[in-house]
Amino acid sequence: MSSPFDINGGACVAMVGKDCVAIACDLRLGMQALTVSNNFPKIFNFAPGTYLGLTGLATDVSTVSDLFRYKVNMYRLREERHIAPQTLANLVSSSLYERRFGPYFVSPVIAGINNTTGKPFICGFDSIGCIDFAKDFIVSGTASDQLFGTCEGLWEPDLSPENLFETISQALLSAVDRDALSGWGAQVYIIEKDKVTQRLLKGRQD
Amino acid sequence: MMDQLVRQYSRSPHQNEFYSEQEQHDLTEGLPPLSLKFSLPPVANHSAFLRAMTDDHSNPNCPIKLAHGTTTLAFRFQGGIIVCTDSRATAGSWIASQTVKKVIPVSRLSRGEDKPGSEPVPGLLGTMAGGAADCQYWLRYLSQQCTLHEIRHKRRITVAAASKILANLTYAYKGYGLSMGTMLAGVTPQEGPALYYIDSDGTRLPGNMFCVGSGQTFAYGVLDANYRYDLTEEEALELGRRSILAAMHRDAYSGGFINLYHVKEEGWVHHGFNDMNPIFWKTKLEKGEFSNVTSEL
Amino acid sequence: MEVLLGITGKDFVILAASKAAMRGPTILKAEDDKTKQLNEHTLMAFSGEAGDTVQFAEYIQANVQLYTMRNDTELSPNAVANFVRGELARSLRSRNPYTVNLLLGGMDKISQKPHLYWIDYLASLAPVPYAAHGYAQYYCLSTLDKHHHPDITLEQGMKLLEMCTDELKRRLPIDYKGVLVKVVTKDGVREEPFDNNRIVKSA
Repeated sequence: MSSPFDINGGACVAMVGKDCVAIACDLRLGMQALTVSNNFPKIFNFAPGTYLGLTGLATDVSTVSDLFRYKVNMYRLREERHIAPQTLANLVSSSLYERRFGPYFVSPVIAGINNTTGKPFICGFDSIGCIDFAKDFIVSGTASDQLFGTCEGLWEPDLSPENLFETISQALLSAVDRDALSGWGAQVYIIEKDKVTQRLLKGRQD
Repeated sequence: MMDQLVRQYSRSPHQNEFYSEQEQHDLTEGLPPLSLKFSLPPVANHSAFLRAMTDDHSNPNCPIKLAHGTTTLAFRFQGGIIVCTDSRATAGSWIASQTVKKVIPVSRLSRGEDKPGSEPVPGLLGTMAGGAADCQYWLRYLSQQCTLHEIRHKRRITVAAASKILANLTYAYKGYGLSMGTMLAGVTPQEGPALYYIDSDGTRLPGNMFCVGSGQTFAYGVLDANYRYDLTEEEALELGRRSILAAMHRDAYSGGFINLYHVKEEGWVHHGFNDMNPIFWKTKLEKGEFSNVTSEL
Repeated sequence: MEVLLGITGKDFVILAASKAAMRGPTILKAEDDKTKQLNEHTLMAFSGEAGDTVQFAEYIQANVQLYTMRNDTELSPNAVANFVRGELARSLRSRNPYTVNLLLGGMDKISQKPHLYWIDYLASLAPVPYAAHGYAQYYCLSTLDKHHHPDITLEQGMKLLEMCTDELKRRLPIDYKGVLVKVVTKDGVREEPFDNNRIVKSA
């Protein structure tokens, strides 16, 4: 229970659909058993259609998201263009590895659509930057075991944006309902070529 | 050889249906054994060994994970006693069950079925916090002793006596790693409404109001602020329900269904086993409580 | 067993901190002030490791005041909160980190809205309508969940605070010597009189 990854709790999942991707997280911030806040989103926007989800130690979720906001802003000013999800993935990976011997206790997830190719992209990382490319889904957080189960059961290839929303929502809600440390509401982003839909899920409040 | 087998299997099928005179005497007149026979691990220090195997707080990788985490409450008021619990069982952060019955009817074993809103059922109620197996086993043992008491003495056991049996028992096993925090509630002609707290340290306390479990403080927070002895039955049931709801919301290891009982003179009445989620949203949206919870983007 | 409480309302933030300064089994002082005013409209309450608390609070106070003087403008509560979090997060990965829990309350001069931030010693930051630190979290958050509304008046806020301190008097095993109450409104920070001598009887 004293692992830094399990102190604050939280869950995140990303999924690929047909010409769309989705990323969802829960909203809990806890201190072990105590729920402190029900309004702690773990997904951050870095470019139109490019999102980064961070679970793990809450302080590092904030620190890492602030760090990447700085780095991505600098990238945009230098390059005069938005960062692509693939580029963000490499930036996340090398930035995390810079802390190889004193890591940030986070498990990042990236979901986005590449603006030039129009192809959906998702990937996940361990806390020191090993990239996990996946064609179907990526899970992270204290409910990751449960999320693997629900995603394996519910996901199928080429889901439409509407069906992808239903699938990712059900996968996340069912998973966090079996995890004491995550839940208390959820946020879902459905990312299409030129459109992003954000939704709030009223999950169980226990 | 064959004869012997035939003899063995050709007894009257009902031969052992009734207890012999001697067995009946032993069952009703003999003292209940305080120290039942449990096999212990073949090591020098069993309690340390047991803790190493089962305590997931100090060792998350312990091989045996016991169900833990609870909120239970009981309080006395003018109309009797309210007993209310959550229904979650966790092993580490894994939610093992959301439908645990943490209120256990004690005595009158055969009449312990749940029929919400039906006639009052005579007998005591026990609550369960800590090790699920410990609580279930020892409250069942207590039921047995209470029933025997009733047969022996032709009257129902008092809550004081029943709680003493349990407290003596937990005290006898002190240091062996039992984990239970339980409340016994009942109304008897001798005592009126009586409430006792018993735990695995051997503590036994009579009192007006107890909350037990990981979410106890949250339940106390709501209960203390709104408690009066002259609460009406309606108000008391609502307060019990609301206090458990508060604990389910803030404590990660409490949740699931709200299990509500009312103990009165004629016996206990079950007031439902209801999912907390619709109750939570009703409380939030209709009364404006839980303003910390976001309900829109 | 230090107590920190924070409550926001329609146009104010209340911060309350226990008055006992404890070292081991002794109460060294019964009139301790565990708050620091950072600028005209933000107030910080702190608890935690002896020594760290005041050192960190004074460091933050000095830097926020320096910013105000250099730029002739105030940092908003949100900006202060993120600055404090950043400093605490930086110290977390240093050789000896500050072990300090904080509540930060303030009025945003532009939006005229009250803000309250919960920050723990790991530098986790959460904006909340009401908050507590230490054991007070376990006893008071459920009370606040039930009785708090976003648009309460200061009077109702003080009543709510009294419900919280009553519960602490009932259930905390030690005497925290009452609370010092400060209020942030659009007019700045002021101390609010609070009756700490009420006797609370247990149910």
